[in-house]
Amino acid sequence: MPPMNGISEGKYRYKAGKLIVVNATFDCDTILKIKITGDFFLHPEERIEEIEEHLTRKKIGEIEALLERDFKDAEYEGISAESLAHAIREAWKRRA
Amino acid sequence: MDLRVIYDTGHPAYWNMGFDESLLVHLNEIGPTLRVYGWSPPAVSIGYFQSMTEEVNIQRAKELGVDLVRRITGGGAVYHKYELTYSITLPELRGRILDSYHLLDMGIIKALQTLNIDAKQAGINDVVVNGKKISGNAQTRKYGGLLQHGTLLIEVHPEEMFEILLVPEEKMKDKAISDVRQRVTSLKDIGVEIEFEELQKILVDGFKEALNADLYEEDVDEKIYDYAHKLEVEKYATHEWNFRR
Repeated sequence: MPPMNGISEGKYRYKAGKLIVVNATFDCDTILKIKITGDFFLHPEERIEEIEEHLTRKKIGEIEALLERDFKDAEYEGISAESLAHAIREAWKRRA
Repeated sequence: MDLRVIYDTGHPAYWNMGFDESLLVHLNEIGPTLRVYGWSPPAVSIGYFQSMTEEVNIQRAKELGVDLVRRITGGGAVYHKYELTYSITLPELRGRILDSYHLLDMGIIKALQTLNIDAKQAGINDVVVNGKKISGNAQTRKYGGLLQHGTLLIEVHPEEMFEILLVPEEKMKDKAISDVRQRVTSLKDIGVEIEFEELQKILVDGFKEALNADLYEEDVDEKIYDYAHKLEVEKYATHEWNFRR
């Protein structure tokens, strides 16, 4: 059962061909810290650090729109705005 | 297109990654380059987005004397011991990156044809024989050029590989080993026994044909090596780089 308030950790491994792993710290529904790892492809590669920065201090309800923008001009395989948003939401649901 | 060829031997992981990046950084000065090489000592390279601590049994790798390094390209972890590795640097191609894998993967497919092996591209970046992966490839575009590196498997030893590579749960290790047996093949598995040096030549000729390139063998200037050494020491050998994710 996720905590109703306070700081919590969430992790989710999402395998759909390639693997996406989300490790995140939440304060209620706000992302405090997030690390996205896996064997996917994303060009330019440094975009992943930008995405992590953009997600930091954002509320779960904001992530879809934010990721949509971040993936717009990128090339990717094994990860997408939708699959990453799904993995983040699952990590949030599983937080403890 | 003129394509410089460097027939290289086995090198430590940090050097290999530093040299490949240096060839990319200096592409405008030295022109397109194909390097075929090995790894000594054996190594695991992880993809740019992977976590070293989640992918590798670091203690076991140390005990076995296996180098660990992060690549500048995406994709998965690779155990470099029983394979030939290539890197190729080219001016940026037009079109989508993911589409351009096909052109460069043709170098491997042509090389395998020389060995009477019918290979195909599969997914975005793999080459398969009889539906099993024999070559994995990864590309990046930076500094106004592209770098693709990849491997051609000479042998596969899944048990040895999973002594070093981690699976999410220990109980899944046997399954991971049998999955690799089912999904991955090697030249030896399909009955081809070949010397490393001979395979280097065949792979180079495969790229020559695929890219319609004029090959020449010429070493690069000292400054390319100097910069490779700088990258080796200041980037690829550092904890900061290898454990950044």
